[in-house]
Amino acid sequence: MEVAYFLGCIMNNRYPGVEKATRIFFDALDIELKDMEGASCCPAPGVFGSFDEKTWASIAARNLTIAEDMGMDIMTECNGCFGSLLECNHMLKEDEEAKAEINEVLSEVGREFKGTVDVKHFAQILRDDVGYEKLASVIEKPLNLNIAAHYGCHFLKPTKEVGIEESAEDPSILDDLIEITGAKSIPYEEKMLCCGAGGGLRSRDIDVTLSMTKEKLENMEAAGADAIVNVCPFCHLQFDVGQTEVNKKYGTNFNIPVFHLAQLYGMAMGLDADDLTLDSHLIDCAPALAKALEEYDKLATE
Amino acid sequence: MIIQGVFSMSILDRLRSFFGMGDKEEENESEANNAKDDVNVTSSKKKLNDNIVSGTKTSESISKVESGSKDMPSKTAHSKNDADKKETVAKEETSTVDSKEEKKEKVTIPELAEEATEIAQERVNEVAEEEAEAKAEGSDLIDDEEDASLDEAEDDEIDDENTGENNKKSDTMTLLTDKELITSESLDKDFTAAFIDAGIETVKNCFQCGTCGGTCPSGRRTPYKVRQLVRKCLLGLKEDVISDDALWMCTTCYTCQERCPRSVIIVEIVKKARNIAAHAGYMAKPHKMTGLFVITTGHGVPINPVTKELRARVGLSELPPTTHMFPEALEEVQKICKTTGFDELIGFDETTGELKD
Repeated sequence: MEVAYFLGCIMNNRYPGVEKATRIFFDALDIELKDMEGASCCPAPGVFGSFDEKTWASIAARNLTIAEDMGMDIMTECNGCFGSLLECNHMLKEDEEAKAEINEVLSEVGREFKGTVDVKHFAQILRDDVGYEKLASVIEKPLNLNIAAHYGCHFLKPTKEVGIEESAEDPSILDDLIEITGAKSIPYEEKMLCCGAGGGLRSRDIDVTLSMTKEKLENMEAAGADAIVNVCPFCHLQFDVGQTEVNKKYGTNFNIPVFHLAQLYGMAMGLDADDLTLDSHLIDCAPALAKALEEYDKLATE
Repeated sequence: MIIQGVFSMSILDRLRSFFGMGDKEEENESEANNAKDDVNVTSSKKKLNDNIVSGTKTSESISKVESGSKDMPSKTAHSKNDADKKETVAKEETSTVDSKEEKKEKVTIPELAEEATEIAQERVNEVAEEEAEAKAEGSDLIDDEEDASLDEAEDDEIDDENTGENNKKSDTMTLLTDKELITSESLDKDFTAAFIDAGIETVKNCFQCGTCGGTCPSGRRTPYKVRQLVRKCLLGLKEDVISDDALWMCTTCYTCQERCPRSVIIVEIVKKARNIAAHAGYMAKPHKMTGLFVITTGHGVPINPVTKELRARVGLSELPPTTHMFPEALEEVQKICKTTGFDELIGFDETTGELKD
């Protein structure tokens, strides 16, 4: 299987360990990740989608045409990119008028949207194309961790359009994927609450954003989470960088390490902290990493 | 006849009265009586409007009662099956709003008014309870300091509204003042049409139940009222919508849209309203900056030296194979932004590569 690998912005430009882990992980799964050369920002739904729909759709469609030229479906590991690309693809496939309007813009750069590929989320590919059995086969070091799963908003919603889960009220895909690594996905209050960063709010009003992040962190901590696992680099950044901002603003001492699902699988496959670039995280991951592998190491030495 | 009704004031009023008498009310078994008082605080004419749109707390042209009242309930009930009829009703609404003569006519439908009042009282009471609950829930979630500052802000607003020249009370002996009245001049039908034209016909489905606001994480901690926003967009209160900072408090989390019992695509309404606001010049500098980054680098969050080093360390290309690595690809993005006028929209200065202001 081959997929067009859409990088986006935050993963490759802030947390390259997520990209590295994904490349190794997908190698083990026999899925070839083909680079989408010259792809850009998805673009960010909160700013471009909110400012000018035509520009948003044109830039998103340009990215889609790169995958169309490659003849492959797109995979993205970011909920924001997923939302933008999926929504634009959907819109242009359904609406001939919109397609014509956007293609007029794209003709300026010698491109044409045809509507020949689909947009898939990383976690969706793991569940639907790889399957849980095969995923379990790549786990070398089962993790002993209590995980607070954070779905993020644009991963499953709007459910009618996305179709990964029937409802986003009590989904299971991310919890299932987490538990394959040996870790436990623990319940916590307001689990489906937004991280607070989306819709351009983080740059527009950081105080409101942090107030939401704080609520999530409180609920995660109260449930005894050893780490947070997400499927979106923007949520990832919000829980990592945002956690230090919450601590500064509210005088709290939250210290919950944050992993992208790809990094969690990387850990379970035995990748080290360097490969996962855990040093790019502001919240120290060492305690979680040590705890995660404690049981495995104990068994290994016996 | 002047159209009566208030957005912010009616909420504040209800909240204020609710909290002012709140303790008493919560303990009181016979909430209905209290609710009556509660409702009486607000405009009696507003109740008419509430009935028309199945319990909206917002205002509409009174003249609409005459032309639309018989159709409206059926519109609500059958709007999904009866698209044609809905269209007709919508046209009637528009034309009524247009007509100044009709606007001036007195309402002479006492029976309807009475019935409307009854239903509206119930509904407004429900709404008030919902809001108070939401508020109470919200204040648990934000800390005391923030809560206090929110209260302060609300007090300030109330003070502002109660001073000034146009502050004479309307002669229906409510607490409303003339300054708070919404007249048909405030309604911009082109604004409403923009949503319909953008394929967001579902904006008309809204029956103001408040599920959206009750579920909104931003609504719990900011003045953002998503139900109110949807109503204002349908009415055509353009300036009210686009000049309000609260419009930008939505994180596009979709919870409201997922739970909306009328399948209103609320997030699309928010984004469309933001598009119109942005084109009218309401753009925050940090948002323009993100736009600037995409024009100059192709990325909303561009690479930095630290990450370049990290990438190289783990065996990835120092620059990702994106617009960062391919200048000709970046040129395409720039050309697109020029073609759509995005560069001008954010005030991009090509010669300096910065924002103009």
